[in-house]
Amino acid sequence: MTSPILRIENLSKRYGQREVLRGVSLEVDKGDLKILIGPSGAGKSTFLHCINFLVKPDQGLVRLDGREIHPEHKRELYAYRQKVGMIFQDFNLFDHLNAFENVRIGLTKVKGIGKEEAGARARLELERVGLKEHINKYPAQLSGGQKQRVSIARALAMDPEVMLLDEPTSALDPELIGEVHAVIRDLGTNGMTMIMATHQIGFASSLASEIIFMEDGLIVERGTPDKIFNDAEHSRTREFCSKITDLYGERG
Amino acid sequence: MTEGLLYIQSEVLPALFRGFGVSLRLIFPSALFGLTIGMAVGVLRVYGSGPVRRTADVYAALFRGIPLVIQLFIWYFGLPYFNIYLSPFAASVLGFSLCSGAYNSEYVRGALLSIKRGQMLAAESLGFSRLRMIAAIILPQAVRRALPGCGNEVIYLIKYSSLAYMVTCIELTGEGKILASNSFRFTEVFLIVGVFYLLMTSIAGFILARVENHLRIPGFEQQRL
Repeated sequence: MTSPILRIENLSKRYGQREVLRGVSLEVDKGDLKILIGPSGAGKSTFLHCINFLVKPDQGLVRLDGREIHPEHKRELYAYRQKVGMIFQDFNLFDHLNAFENVRIGLTKVKGIGKEEAGARARLELERVGLKEHINKYPAQLSGGQKQRVSIARALAMDPEVMLLDEPTSALDPELIGEVHAVIRDLGTNGMTMIMATHQIGFASSLASEIIFMEDGLIVERGTPDKIFNDAEHSRTREFCSKITDLYGERG
Repeated sequence: MTEGLLYIQSEVLPALFRGFGVSLRLIFPSALFGLTIGMAVGVLRVYGSGPVRRTADVYAALFRGIPLVIQLFIWYFGLPYFNIYLSPFAASVLGFSLCSGAYNSEYVRGALLSIKRGQMLAAESLGFSRLRMIAAIILPQAVRRALPGCGNEVIYLIKYSSLAYMVTCIELTGEGKILASNSFRFTEVFLIVGVFYLLMTSIAGFILARVENHLRIPGFEQQRL
């Protein structure tokens, strides 16, 4: 047995009286694609944000490659975040930079790579997500699907070991979802380790190594796509899956 | 009539041009310092730690809240009590810069607060430190959004630079005042003075519009109907 690349232990977070995460643990092996499903407010997004400390968890630890992360040590935190790419629901591109500069800026400003080398890498990443022709466009000139692909290229340029994807397609028009899914699928086949929150059941079931159903800040049930979607133990899981299958269909 | 023209040509214009030069020398450094102070204080008011933020807030409240003439009087007539002597010119530039900086900090603060939180999360997720994020991601956008306000402040500054003559720094208005008092041709003299100011504010407005246009991001903030 190889040791997991990412080990999350007992993450908890409360906002005032509300417990958003109640001790969630997860081990992710290299090349895994873990899919988080669950109703909104289940804590999926908070969980992903806590993994790279964009939200500070009240309790719990995160280990990457067996090493515990101490978020209070800024240097260590910044280095860790470079290894954990994050994709957001609403893209969060830098509005004042074009696609090319959006991807390059992390390389030049965070990794301190020279402009030329960083530029070559940025171009390569944008080509990989199929945006060669749109390299000089600004976020406001791109479609939602293109923006999300730029944000994926931006994260990939940092050479992450793990990617966290927070509902990457839920802000997209239905017909733009496919192009983003294709990129993510491609990442998966190339062995990228990912944790992804999504409602796209079809996509999830075709690719996920494990489906994790969350509700009220807890993992209710987890298992292979086949088990969760067709043979779930908990009635709540079955209920949620049938609802979401009606909504989002079978195909990804 | 010809006598009037002759007076204007030989007395008024040379004096006013001299004053105009002094005005420009007051306005340029004050605008520059004002923008720099405004940017720094604006950042501190949004991202500073508790005590730093409160200090910056107090600065803005003080210098926005006290009439500029009073501030100038304090710098020029008040500081000598502490054995600090400023020239009329230095007192004016100091007063203008600090006042302008306080106003600008408000525009910068508003612009900083308007940048979407998501972009900061994205920067942080890439491993940006707070300082780098502010410098590379937030400020370049905030500056663009603060520009109309700060430009407005520069226009104000051009006009309130006329207060320098209250602390005996004889610039455009000061020269005009002296000329008018000597000749009693208030209307003519102050009309010309007014034209000088109008000229300065128009040119400043033109330059600011050009700068704004130059910094415009394609497809962004262009929702003009």
